[in-house]
Amino acid sequence: MTLVVEQVTKQFGGLMALTNINFTVNSGEIVGVIGPNGAGKTTLFNLITGVLEPSSGEILYKNHSLVGLKPHKITELGIARTFQNIRLFDHLTALDNVLVGAHCRTQGGLWQGVWHTRAQQREERNTREKARELLDLVGIGEEESSLAAALPYGKQRRLEIARALASQPNLLLLDEPAAGMNESETDDLQVLIKKIQERGVSIILIEHDMGLVMNICDKLVVLNFGKKIAEGVPQFVQDHPAVIEAYLGKEEE
Amino acid sequence: MEFLLNPYYLQIIMFIIINAILGISIYLTLATGQLSLGNAGFMSIGAYVSALLTLKVGVPLYVAVPLGGAAACLMAAVIGIPTTRLRGIYLAIATLGFGEVVRVIILNLTITNGALGLSGIPSMSVMLSKGITVIGLAAGIGGMSVRQLGNLSVILILAIILGLLVFFALRLSTSRVGRAFAAIKADEHAAEVSGIDTRYYKLLAFFMGAFVAGIAGGLAAHITFYIGPKDFAYHRAVEILLFAVLGGSDVVWGPLLGSVILTLLPEVLRFATEYREMIYGGILVIMMAFRPQGIISEDTLRFWQKKITSKPTISEQKEISRRTTR
Repeated sequence: MTLVVEQVTKQFGGLMALTNINFTVNSGEIVGVIGPNGAGKTTLFNLITGVLEPSSGEILYKNHSLVGLKPHKITELGIARTFQNIRLFDHLTALDNVLVGAHCRTQGGLWQGVWHTRAQQREERNTREKARELLDLVGIGEEESSLAAALPYGKQRRLEIARALASQPNLLLLDEPAAGMNESETDDLQVLIKKIQERGVSIILIEHDMGLVMNICDKLVVLNFGKKIAEGVPQFVQDHPAVIEAYLGKEEE
Repeated sequence: MEFLLNPYYLQIIMFIIINAILGISIYLTLATGQLSLGNAGFMSIGAYVSALLTLKVGVPLYVAVPLGGAAACLMAAVIGIPTTRLRGIYLAIATLGFGEVVRVIILNLTITNGALGLSGIPSMSVMLSKGITVIGLAAGIGGMSVRQLGNLSVILILAIILGLLVFFALRLSTSRVGRAFAAIKADEHAAEVSGIDTRYYKLLAFFMGAFVAGIAGGLAAHITFYIGPKDFAYHRAVEILLFAVLGGSDVVWGPLLGSVILTLLPEVLRFATEYREMIYGGILVIMMAFRPQGIISEDTLRFWQKKITSKPTISEQKEISRRTTR
């Protein structure tokens, strides 16, 4: 079991953002988290990555509690994420963005960096090589020296994924990766996500594009008003009455 | 020769280098996006500690100055651990307050001689002149007197220190630590989620800035014979910040250029003493309106690199100039 979310509740003042959420992610699985806007999907990501702390409940990653850990520690343990509204380091080049992502997998300290020790040069070469591979993987290898801010939207999304992958995660959280993409871009994204899964990375995917979700997810978790209303394989969830009600409303009797 | 080597010019060159070192100190803290106005405070700690060590304890200069830097660093730990949680303007106000606290403490202590300040601080150039006399050059060489030689050696030492710091800053900016700094500056939250211990790196930058400011303070004290609390009031803090504002804070060359210009400006404008502050202010207003990123930014460097490495065609040149004026 890669990730176990147990009875997790998050309260903002009087608002119950999430109530008693339970679900698990198995190794190598793609789990989709869907639900209407404001259902608590991004809050769930923030809890897993340590940006927020749950009010109660437990989050276990490989039998390791994540509650109370700082975000950078959680990244070091092997969980990486992207953001719903892209958050790249705008004034850094694409390659540098990925190199920053590799930060927790490299060691070079202040003095090594200043004196260019042999170990530092070797590490720098290796990291650069790996970063270029990742840029190629997400399909923006040509753009390594352009500034992140100068890239078109779709490529920025891809760069964010490359940056997250640079931390060599075991679990990757993608927050609406297909938002704002056209159909062919979404198809490419689907291929990319599958490729990432083949590298042995488990993925949790928040997405509104149902086509994408139904195609690639092994399991879906449906949230509405902070509660889990359904869970299961895509086909099952699709026909679940509570899900249909949440998305389409209830028929008047 | 006699004209160029007059003590007044030599002293201005020394001040330029000291201010350039201060420019590097503000660059180092700004590299993580921390707007600290505490560098004048750290400078005063460095200045007083090293001056007191040489004056009262008789510690040699080359030990006293680094100890002054270390003392500033120690103070940075006290002030930095609570304040690096703060961001933007809040950090600026907290560190500005810190600088004033340091000044008031210095003003009221007996050991620092209160408002009168410390005078008779052993001078670096006198010390070096003595050394030059000892090695048998009492008559000077090449038409230069011992005093001039002393001053020139001070400048040489200062320039070496500055050179080392510039080298350090340049190497830092392309290293793993420097990338972490840049990431924090760009988006602290994203940096943290990307696996960077933001608190550690912000403190590191804060310490480095404090240490360099402390060194600058120690050096300044041993060049001017006299230091007083007034030298480190808030206008000093603002002056140091202006090096980065005017020159730019993207790359280390920015604050360096800023410090050179802002140190020379009052001297150049000596003929218009009454209007000096006005011209000074006017230049800054114009800067903010037309080039808020400072004189030198990353784009400027890229532009010149491109120009030097390849000869662009005329249409490309037009494109480049259009982009840089935008």
